[in-house]
Amino acid sequence: MIYLDNGATSFHKPETVYRAMRCALDNCANPGRGGYPAAMAAAKTVLRCRERAASLFHCMPEQVVMTSNCTHGLNIAINTLVKPGSKVVISGFEHNAVTRPLHARKAQITVAGRKLFCWEDTLETFENALKKGADAAVFTHVSNVFGYILPVYEMAELCRQYGVPFAIDAAQSAGMLPIDLQKLGADFIAMPGHKGLLGPQGTGLLLCAREPMPLLQGGTGSLSALQDMPDFLPDSLEAGTLNVPGIAGLSAGLAYVLEQTPQRILERECREARRCADALGKLGFCVFFGENQSGTVSFVPNMDCEEAARLLAEQGIGVRAGLHCAPLAHESAGTLDTGTVRISFGHDAAPWQTGMLAQEVEKLVRQS
Amino acid sequence: MKNCIITFRSVTPAQRAEEVLRRAGVECSIQRTPKWMEEKGCGYSLRLNCRDIMTSAAFLRQAGIHFRRAYTLRDDGTPEELRL
Repeated sequence: MIYLDNGATSFHKPETVYRAMRCALDNCANPGRGGYPAAMAAAKTVLRCRERAASLFHCMPEQVVMTSNCTHGLNIAINTLVKPGSKVVISGFEHNAVTRPLHARKAQITVAGRKLFCWEDTLETFENALKKGADAAVFTHVSNVFGYILPVYEMAELCRQYGVPFAIDAAQSAGMLPIDLQKLGADFIAMPGHKGLLGPQGTGLLLCAREPMPLLQGGTGSLSALQDMPDFLPDSLEAGTLNVPGIAGLSAGLAYVLEQTPQRILERECREARRCADALGKLGFCVFFGENQSGTVSFVPNMDCEEAARLLAEQGIGVRAGLHCAPLAHESAGTLDTGTVRISFGHDAAPWQTGMLAQEVEKLVRQS
Repeated sequence: MKNCIITFRSVTPAQRAEEVLRRAGVECSIQRTPKWMEEKGCGYSLRLNCRDIMTSAAFLRQAGIHFRRAYTLRDDGTPEELRL
């Protein structure tokens, strides 16, 4: 299969990821719960993962909290920053992982910046919204639908300038773009472990720069005589047994990203995204492509987008169609009614993938 | 050799402390904290030679690793808390 749905999850992981998971299943017991070798091996596996993440994202290992996915981390961040009725500024390209928790808290939401690939618009409207008064801001680093890379460092600077706490959704950027917790000064950065970081599904990371409010209470293997949760990281957010085989895989994925470097991975993905956009544009489709774009491209086909994705799947090409859990982003781009077909390249992006895709899409055009 | 014990709130700081001290050339081993040493229940600690206790405490502070207490074991096996 030609897998072009890396925005949903990375599918072909480095071989070391599979090996690390097998090794953890064979050798690791419960971390932080015992002093015997298998428990300590588990604890070491988890610490190694924290250390690698800390090295990639410029923070202390204790600030790296293990979550089950990016949504989990975003919920912790939003639960901490947003009280019922709080005024919250978001971008026009947020995923439901941001908008639904805000909706559940009955937050007063201001959507700022709805022009695709336009940093001027994003920054101007974002600053105007902050000026009017905000209790918090939550924004994505990269649109999961269109691959628009938002100017998060400048947005972070604006938040600091106006004294607004903020969280970043790094679902589509972790492993590809530079993320520096210290430089950004973010309160929280949430990310999945199974996309650009190349770990298995069921893993995620939350980088914490402030005291969080836990979503879960329970055993942590620390201060067990007390009924209050520990008030220190990472224990305060890690109640219950961790997904050690998953974390072992994530740790191997992080090692691969550190070795390859996010910059090289992004270059590969962007190069193919550009070639893909060119090819689709030549076929006469409405292709969303511009400056500040990652390795993700969306287009509106000459038929129902789900039908187009189904026909491509029949030819062995995996892409995602529809609204991609991001109706707000589609509303901003004017594609809420049609949806789009999304092509998202991964760490193994190669010209042959783009060539095969263009060939199959061309066949669809001829058939229709 | 006279043994000292440094206690930590949980496994993460204890492991990080072990790595910092080993990198600094201090021999130490990680273990579960004896029950009587941790009134709040469940923790991890490092066992090391008492001659290294002061420099170890300095290394840990420098690395920003929080530890709870330090003990020395008297010849009769009874513990004595150290002020570091």
